[in-house]
Amino acid sequence: MSSLPLTLPAPTQCPMPNAHYPCFVMTATILAPSTQLPPSSHEFAPVIHRLEAGGAMLPDTPENLMQIIGIYKAYAVPMDFYWRDLLYIAERVFLNPFPFFKYFLPKEYLDLHNHYAGDDADLRIWRGEATAHPELLAFMEKGETFKMPKLLHHLWHDRINMEFAEACMRAMLWHRGMGGNFDPYLDTDEYKANADRAIKAYFKGNPVMLGLYQMFPEMFIEQVRQLSYYSNLGLFWEVMAPVFFEMSDRYDAGDIKSVPEAMNFLVNAIFAMAGRPIYHHVHIRGEVYEIIPKSCGFMWLYEAALPYVEAVFYRTAPFRGTKSYNAQAKQVPDNQKDFHYGILYADVFPVGTAGIPPTLLMQDMLHFLPKYLVDYYHQHCRGEDDMLIQLGISFQRSMYVVTSAVIQALRTALLYPLDDPNPRHLQANRAFFETQIDRFKRPEARLRDVQSQNYR
Amino acid sequence: MLSILIWLPIFAAAVIGFWPGTISSISTRLASLTVAGLVIMWNLFILLKFDISNPGMQLQEYLPWNETLGLSYKLGVDGLSVLMLLLNSFLTWIAIYSSSKQTERPRLFYSLVLLVSGGVAGAFLTENLLLFFLFYELELIPFYLLISIWGGEKRAYAGIKFLLYTAVSGALILAAFFGMVWFTGSTNFNYDALPTQTLSTTLQIILLFGIVLGFGIKIPLVPFHTWLPDAYVEASAPIAILLGGVLAKLGAYGLLRFGMGMFPQAWSILAPSLATWGAISAIYGAVTAIAQKDIKRMVAYSSIGHMGYILLAAAASTPLAIVGAVSQMFSHGIILAILFHLIGVVETKVGTRELDKLNGLMSPVRGLPLTSALLVLGGMASAGIPGMIGFVSEFIVFQGSFSAFPIPTLLCVVASGLTAVYFVILLNRTCFGRLDNKLAYYPKVLWSEKIPALILAAVIFFLGVQPTWLVRWCEPTATGMVAAIPLLE
Repeated sequence: MSSLPLTLPAPTQCPMPNAHYPCFVMTATILAPSTQLPPSSHEFAPVIHRLEAGGAMLPDTPENLMQIIGIYKAYAVPMDFYWRDLLYIAERVFLNPFPFFKYFLPKEYLDLHNHYAGDDADLRIWRGEATAHPELLAFMEKGETFKMPKLLHHLWHDRINMEFAEACMRAMLWHRGMGGNFDPYLDTDEYKANADRAIKAYFKGNPVMLGLYQMFPEMFIEQVRQLSYYSNLGLFWEVMAPVFFEMSDRYDAGDIKSVPEAMNFLVNAIFAMAGRPIYHHVHIRGEVYEIIPKSCGFMWLYEAALPYVEAVFYRTAPFRGTKSYNAQAKQVPDNQKDFHYGILYADVFPVGTAGIPPTLLMQDMLHFLPKYLVDYYHQHCRGEDDMLIQLGISFQRSMYVVTSAVIQALRTALLYPLDDPNPRHLQANRAFFETQIDRFKRPEARLRDVQSQNYR
Repeated sequence: MLSILIWLPIFAAAVIGFWPGTISSISTRLASLTVAGLVIMWNLFILLKFDISNPGMQLQEYLPWNETLGLSYKLGVDGLSVLMLLLNSFLTWIAIYSSSKQTERPRLFYSLVLLVSGGVAGAFLTENLLLFFLFYELELIPFYLLISIWGGEKRAYAGIKFLLYTAVSGALILAAFFGMVWFTGSTNFNYDALPTQTLSTTLQIILLFGIVLGFGIKIPLVPFHTWLPDAYVEASAPIAILLGGVLAKLGAYGLLRFGMGMFPQAWSILAPSLATWGAISAIYGAVTAIAQKDIKRMVAYSSIGHMGYILLAAAASTPLAIVGAVSQMFSHGIILAILFHLIGVVETKVGTRELDKLNGLMSPVRGLPLTSALLVLGGMASAGIPGMIGFVSEFIVFQGSFSAFPIPTLLCVVASGLTAVYFVILLNRTCFGRLDNKLAYYPKVLWSEKIPALILAAVIFFLGVQPTWLVRWCEPTATGMVAAIPLLE
């Protein structure tokens, strides 16, 4: 039995007819549970054993698979907007003091080619088109109401909720110091000099803003740091959107048949994309200013994917929702690294209440659900009426699979194969898994809940 | 004309109950709703015919029945009863509508409800003591059966307790009625044929005491209230609506009609004690409600408190206070109906009425948001928040009573403040907070379950901002009744 790949898979020919471009191929590897170690005594022993067998934290059932794949597809469409707009804001809107129209994506960015889809892809993950997804374009035109001027769609909130993407970006910015080199680079003189050049170029001929910059340089630099995170997240999601689209297509074609297969697709994608550069370029009057040049060598896996998972899936912030947190009563941890308000812990039930970002994403995903998932939701709980919650919980399940993929990828990169014959190596793997799963011992964690199919 | 209000529901009850063929549950419900709707329409027609400026009995009907016994079929309506009739027919319709479509033994259930409706209408309409007593007692068995068959876990206990208390109430009232006839030497039981004011003051006080005790049990007043929480809590929501909205009003009506109306002199003597009693009832009801863990029981105790206001207003015996008492009877019926209906919905969907278990029902998708919002509205109305019917009636009660009994009135104002306390507790624990993930799989509330509450909410708001429509019916009657009472010293 083969192990999970320790090295990045090489581009191979796509199995599609007439395909001549590099294409990403899934290599699913599912192992039998290890018999060389005694059973784990961990609270989540069945989950540990499943991870050791090459599975995910989510139980492998057709129902779970259907939910997570359907949600990936529904997530990928708004994500196709998110990454384009994040890059547009980082590269073009930049320090506009009145960015009223930053969510009004120009055609140039809708037509921007995704580097991992389309005929001219660097590495073709999705076999679809490189430009904005057709469902996204259709929604942007009519929304869920009817065709009307873009401004009215915007004011009526009949649009993609970019606020969600910005909330994720801010979570990454706010939880600085999560490892990697990208974040420390933002405090270097080199970065500040690059930012200074871009700021001066952007406000050239604007004495008011230049004067303000002279007076409050750190404020402007901090804004540029935030914009660098816009770019970081945009580049991260540029990769994830085609990954999710491809998974959906493969599921529809019957090529993905189990949760571990889905997770392994993600693991392989993570490794395939790991080296993708993370940078921040700004376009000012036809000139490109490299605030974070590609030559810095920041890699997608370590500078975008891992910080994103840590900041958004685990930590985020104690948002004001239906639950009030009293920091003085120590209900909010002193240390940001102990925050536990991400989607893996989120209470999805009070959907629609203020300050819970997944609500915005859930609203976005609602517009792009595949029919089989809509039919499925109609059969459970309140059907149409609480579809938002049901899809929110499916989203939670799917993010446990993504997190499983990250854990497996880290284990692959840092530790040993799952079928390693050396029991000490297997023990090290187990210790790693147990440490990771310890984070879900908190009562708020939904790992317990997603083990049951009745959690909807 | 008035007889239709009595006999249409009773006839319908007989038809539904004794129809030889089989009738489906839905058809039975539909037929009962139709009859109740027709009764409402007829009530509205009577309102149109009602002369607001006339303080006396109107639209009278008379048929000699048993002259030897002094029993005659004499009906009439005045400012005291006209609103009660409307309340009775309206809440009967609401109760039928809010009953479950899966009610067991639907024919018996709906016949009993209609029988109650006809009986209550008869009691409000009659002008003969004996006939009043017959109609008054007519409710006893149907309500007993409605509690005992379709009630909750302790329905048998609650039903028997209700039966015993109200039987004693009936016995006291009957004794007082007989006393009124015997001591006055009258040959019949018609209200206008009883010169009760010619009796000695002592005798008047004794007879009034029997009336007050008898109807005090029915209202109920502390300490004769212990049947109420059990009966209200164990009864199903539609029956609780009728118990609190209609039956309790019969007690208050009897107190005003027979206590104040027939013994004005004795009434003025007992008034200070009655006012104090009303204030004690109001404070007791409110304080006890605060301590409850069952939201239905909390509302039941709140009902005891609010009925205390009526006794205070009746004791004060100023025209404004009497208008306030009648308004409070109507508004309390409406508010209690919306609260019991909503609590019924919450219990059906969530499976509990326990304050410690309920939480986060306001949650917009998985909770019961509209039900919770209406519950908040009902609580606000009950607490006397301006703009709603509860404010109008309570304000008039307090305004009308303060000049006569300032301290009991102030105590009732404090009780009104305590109403806000227990409703805040109820609403805060029930509607707000985080919805428990493990429990939050409640079935959705159907429109048919929302409609009764929406209608009641509309009435609460409408009469809250247009109180003239509530108070104008009884103003001349109240003035006329008060004129017969000697001035308090």
